[in-house]
Amino acid sequence: MQRLGLYIHIPFCKRKCNYCDFYSCTKLDNIKSYIDALLKQIVIDAPLYRDYEFDTIFIGGGTPSLLEPNDFERLTDAIKNNLNLTQGLEFSLEANPGTLTREKLLAYEKGGVNRLSMGLQSTFDNELKTLGRIHTYDEFVKNFNLARECGFDNISIDVMYSLPNQKTNDLLTTLERVSSLNPEHISSYCLKIEEKTPFGKIKDKLMLPNEDEEYEMYISMCDYLNKKGYLQYEISNFARAGYESKHNLKYWQSEEYIGIGPSAHSFFGGERYYYQDNLTDYISTILKGNSPEKIFEKELEIEHSVAHISKEDEYVMLKMRLSSGINTEEFKTRFGKEFLNSYPAVEKYIKSGHIVLLNNSYKFTPQGFFVSNYILTDILRFEN
Amino acid sequence: MADKQKNIRNFSIIAHIDHGKSTLADRILEYSNAVAKREMEEQLLDNMDLERERGITIKARAVRIDYKHKDGQDYVLNLIDTPGHVDFNYEVSRSLNACEGALLVVDSTQGIEAQTLANAYLAVDCDLEIVPVINKIDLPSADVDRVRNEIEDIIGIVAEDCPAVSAKVGLNIDQVLDAIIEKIPAPKGDPSAPLKCLIFDSHYNSYLGVVVYVRVMDGTLKAGDTIRLMSTNARYDVVEVGHLNAFGLQKADSISAGEVGYITASIKTVSETRVGDTVTLDDNPTDEPLEGFKEALPMVFSGIYPADGARYNDLRDALEKLQLNDAALSFEPETSIALGFGFRCGFLGLLHMEIIQERLEREFNLDLITTAPSVIYKITKTNGETIMVDNPSNYPPADTIKTAYEPVVKSSIITPTEFVGGIMDLCQDRRGTFKDMKYLDASRVELHYIMPLNEIVYDFFDALKSRSKGYASLDYELAGYEASNLVKLDFLLNGEIVDALTFIVHTEKAYTRARKIAEKLKDNISRQLFEIPIQAAIGSKVIARETVKALRKDVLAKCYGGDITRKKKLLEKQKEGKKKMRRLGSVEVTPEAFMAVLKLDDSEK
Repeated sequence: MQRLGLYIHIPFCKRKCNYCDFYSCTKLDNIKSYIDALLKQIVIDAPLYRDYEFDTIFIGGGTPSLLEPNDFERLTDAIKNNLNLTQGLEFSLEANPGTLTREKLLAYEKGGVNRLSMGLQSTFDNELKTLGRIHTYDEFVKNFNLARECGFDNISIDVMYSLPNQKTNDLLTTLERVSSLNPEHISSYCLKIEEKTPFGKIKDKLMLPNEDEEYEMYISMCDYLNKKGYLQYEISNFARAGYESKHNLKYWQSEEYIGIGPSAHSFFGGERYYYQDNLTDYISTILKGNSPEKIFEKELEIEHSVAHISKEDEYVMLKMRLSSGINTEEFKTRFGKEFLNSYPAVEKYIKSGHIVLLNNSYKFTPQGFFVSNYILTDILRFEN
Repeated sequence: MADKQKNIRNFSIIAHIDHGKSTLADRILEYSNAVAKREMEEQLLDNMDLERERGITIKARAVRIDYKHKDGQDYVLNLIDTPGHVDFNYEVSRSLNACEGALLVVDSTQGIEAQTLANAYLAVDCDLEIVPVINKIDLPSADVDRVRNEIEDIIGIVAEDCPAVSAKVGLNIDQVLDAIIEKIPAPKGDPSAPLKCLIFDSHYNSYLGVVVYVRVMDGTLKAGDTIRLMSTNARYDVVEVGHLNAFGLQKADSISAGEVGYITASIKTVSETRVGDTVTLDDNPTDEPLEGFKEALPMVFSGIYPADGARYNDLRDALEKLQLNDAALSFEPETSIALGFGFRCGFLGLLHMEIIQERLEREFNLDLITTAPSVIYKITKTNGETIMVDNPSNYPPADTIKTAYEPVVKSSIITPTEFVGGIMDLCQDRRGTFKDMKYLDASRVELHYIMPLNEIVYDFFDALKSRSKGYASLDYELAGYEASNLVKLDFLLNGEIVDALTFIVHTEKAYTRARKIAEKLKDNISRQLFEIPIQAAIGSKVIARETVKALRKDVLAKCYGGDITRKKKLLEKQKEGKKKMRRLGSVEVTPEAFMAVLKLDDSEK
């Protein structure tokens, strides 16, 4: 049977963080009816996935750990009763400190969650405050230890860098504290100022590190985490051997997945599509018995754009996010041609030290990762 | 026949820019009922969008108004509109020669400005009766008496009882019409003499061919006649003659002495009908052509390139179309290593250049890259040869030059006294030679400088405006060539000369300009994966350098929750931006970087 990943979006947060532009609502009284809608959609859509088997589930948000035990149980029951799941399924749930209790953790564990992804972002309380997080570092540590006590043996911690006023040493301190907690996985994202967020509105007043400082942070971070035994397997992701996120790898390996919930993205039957980011419409449409409208990527109007990323380009773009890069044999099997013939511009970046060729695979060096958009814009073909 | 001329008045309106010339023209048309009020679009005479937006008149236009005066008689008023800017002096003079009088509009809140004077002198040269009109009296800061005195003291014409109006609100327009009829003389041509018509404008119409606008000085012309253009002796059979009313061409049986009208004769291009030329009848020619006009010579040159190289042919077609109606625009193909295929274009001045660029972008939907404006240098070489150089990158090597000459202009600047110091510093800095200074009244001064045109095209107007809070006005005319100590300044990116950035500068200015432009380049070239040295050099000697540091970080989108679409769109958008970049050797430069280099405001220092 063909394999699929399942993503479920929980678009609720106690409060919005100052940097975040993902879709979520702070009005929490819709949670119950939203779960009702999800259950209904799973039942309606289930026949489509009859010939598939799900080997990863990722409940993301928003703040999925806002789900109370009984709602969570209703959701997992619906999944188990309607979809084919594999043995050894990876089942991740995002959890934010400040929303976790022992009772919830036990319920998640019982429901089958075997991987927790915990949002920390920084170990400095002043930085957490700037970011608009609802927790302190101390609260995080308590939640982390609680999760361990409840039996979670696969935990990922999210951190962020390039924060206002942050210096490389601050980041290294955060990484040192995080690695001393000994999580199995660390994601570390560069703060990106999005226009429609509170940060976006005061962009010029934020004392953000400059490009050279960001570069120094990134390179020091990769170096530090690798030394601590967290191997970089993607631009922003590090893990103990064998603990890479199977679900996230699907995104980067051009494998298929279903996303449900407002703003959730899917790649299914060779098509990429997503649902509108409107919670109330989403709920009312489903509760009326209809399927929410799918917005297909191929139908999106690209404003007077002639540059187009083909399937092949997309594969290269995604694969190059991974430390394993592009294997020339695999490329040949998939597309029936030589990688270098299709993407000859790669060679000059080998000369410049941004890409290496190792064991028949082209991969970015850390320097290359950090300017990967620039390089991809140059090497991809952008043909229709 | 003589009676017919008695009731004709041919006149122009002249003014400094923004003093309200076009608005007054509208009111005159409206008042005389040539155009019903509701049918009027603002400023009817300016029938190009660009003119309307910038509030300036680019091309002369003429309109015939049938007007019943309070004396009970019917009059024909021919209003010949003129452009109001320094670049278009030549177009002003061609229009004025077709008239017997001119309304000199002066803004009652501003008083006389540089172009008021320049235009008034042109009108005096043409022996016109000048009727001053003081405008904008509805504004609180209007000072009619002061302006009246200025007109009398500075220009030396009687302004005691001249109309004081508000064209904007339509106040006292009747007095303007009275003055036109009572003060401006009727034409005095001989309708039975051999034909003598003055061409004062022409434009291309895709159905009729060239429509030639003429003032008939003597004689009579009708359809079917064979005309001869006296400068070229070219002959054409007249298809149609007529008058120009507010909405277009009004066919007539004939046009005769004293009248303003048009001729069509299957003429293919406007360049065949030279403005200032005399039209006569082939079988009964006049002995004496009218005093010919000088041809409009381009003074400012710039390379114009399509941002997308594939649109070279579109650019050529667009330039050809514009040239149909603008004999002063010249262009020839040129190639730049940096910018590819484009055209070296010649313009009357900076405004003319800006207008052409804007029309190309707006009417023909072209994205352009424009090089810094340059002038024509005259070089005598050591081998005795004399050459003219309109493209800085063709400037010969220093050791082959015996003497280099650059064009200079006689400039007149009128400014409130408080800014005199700053403006004199500016003129000094721009290598101006002070001629004299006249107090127009207690608060305003007119300065005369001889200045290299090269310094004027280099952002002078903006600098003048910023040093005078916008109050100073400028007029200039070409005053020949002077020997000068010039050098060619090259810019190198990553060791390679970028020909499109090369320019000619006076030796003393070379260092400061080089440094400024290098800095500007540094700020406008986006980081690339390698360090990019920027150098400014005279010959092989580097006189300024900067470095664009290497790019080390770009945006890392998260691909969170499987949103691959967002990342794809980001890359596609980046690629689109990159396609517009010009590759200069190994360096990629946005078109904006070329533009930014052109705008260096000296007063920022």
